[in-house]
Amino acid sequence: MKELDPILHSQLRLAVMSILMNVDEADFVYLKEKTESTAGNLSVQLDKLSNAGYITVTKGFVGKKTRTTCQVTEQGRTAFEQYVEALKDYLNL
Amino acid sequence: MEEKKMTEKESLELITSMIQRTRERYVGDGNIMLMWRYLTVAVTALVWILLVKTGNPIYNLGWFLIPLLGNILKPLMDKKQKVKSGVKSYSDRIVTQIWTVVGISSLVAMLTCFGFIFFAHASSNIWKSMFIFALIMVPMAEIAHGIVVKEKSLVVGGALGLCVGIFTMCCIAAGIPFGANWYLPMFIIAFICMMIIPGHIINYKAKQQR
Repeated sequence: MKELDPILHSQLRLAVMSILMNVDEADFVYLKEKTESTAGNLSVQLDKLSNAGYITVTKGFVGKKTRTTCQVTEQGRTAFEQYVEALKDYLNL
Repeated sequence: MEEKKMTEKESLELITSMIQRTRERYVGDGNIMLMWRYLTVAVTALVWILLVKTGNPIYNLGWFLIPLLGNILKPLMDKKQKVKSGVKSYSDRIVTQIWTVVGISSLVAMLTCFGFIFFAHASSNIWKSMFIFALIMVPMAEIAHGIVVKEKSLVVGGALGLCVGIFTMCCIAAGIPFGANWYLPMFIIAFICMMIIPGHIINYKAKQQR
């Protein structure tokens, strides 16, 4: 049986990846709202996903406000698909 | 959301729940669409009045107001909408690309018409090709937009516009002259049916969802 990816097998990181798999890009505020997480925790988890190469984090400006947008990478997409396949194996689906 | 150890079942439930949450979003703000639509109708009405009153084809230059004003207003409205929703879906991207293609080709079509007038000394009849463009390419984009976002009013409106486009094409092929007094009002009505009404329907649906 395949081992579950430790980067993805964490509640908040998995929630973020699940959202990003369904959209083209999402900003920090949207992710915070949908995952019901704190800014600090979300920020740490986004860094971990970004360091693993699963997402890209782009910091930009909209007017005078900063805007952080996240997008899943091909590597992240593959990892997520493999994670779901592994889950199915564990659950005999 | 707290960091805690999850079982495999909980992981799967979390994925399902997050997918569900990303679906809880507005159909889309129809304001940008409506801006283009009202702008097109307003410019057509202006060109129509000027052509009927003066008979001078130079007023066809008024068509340039559509891409000119539209491309100034769109990025401003786009920015506001993007900030509000915080997310961009794949369908948003496809729809933006469809309308970008339409926008660029309308500019190319207009410049080509000018090229024909200045370099090939074509008559002002060349502008008829713009009607075909507006009533074939735009309705096709509208139908594609409707299919992508699963919005029936866009598909129906686009189909109505396409019918007027096919009629226009047949008029040109049959050599039936367009009278500014009957053709442009028909063009305006077609645009209202295919663009303004669906735009308001989308805005209404978006408000209902909020």
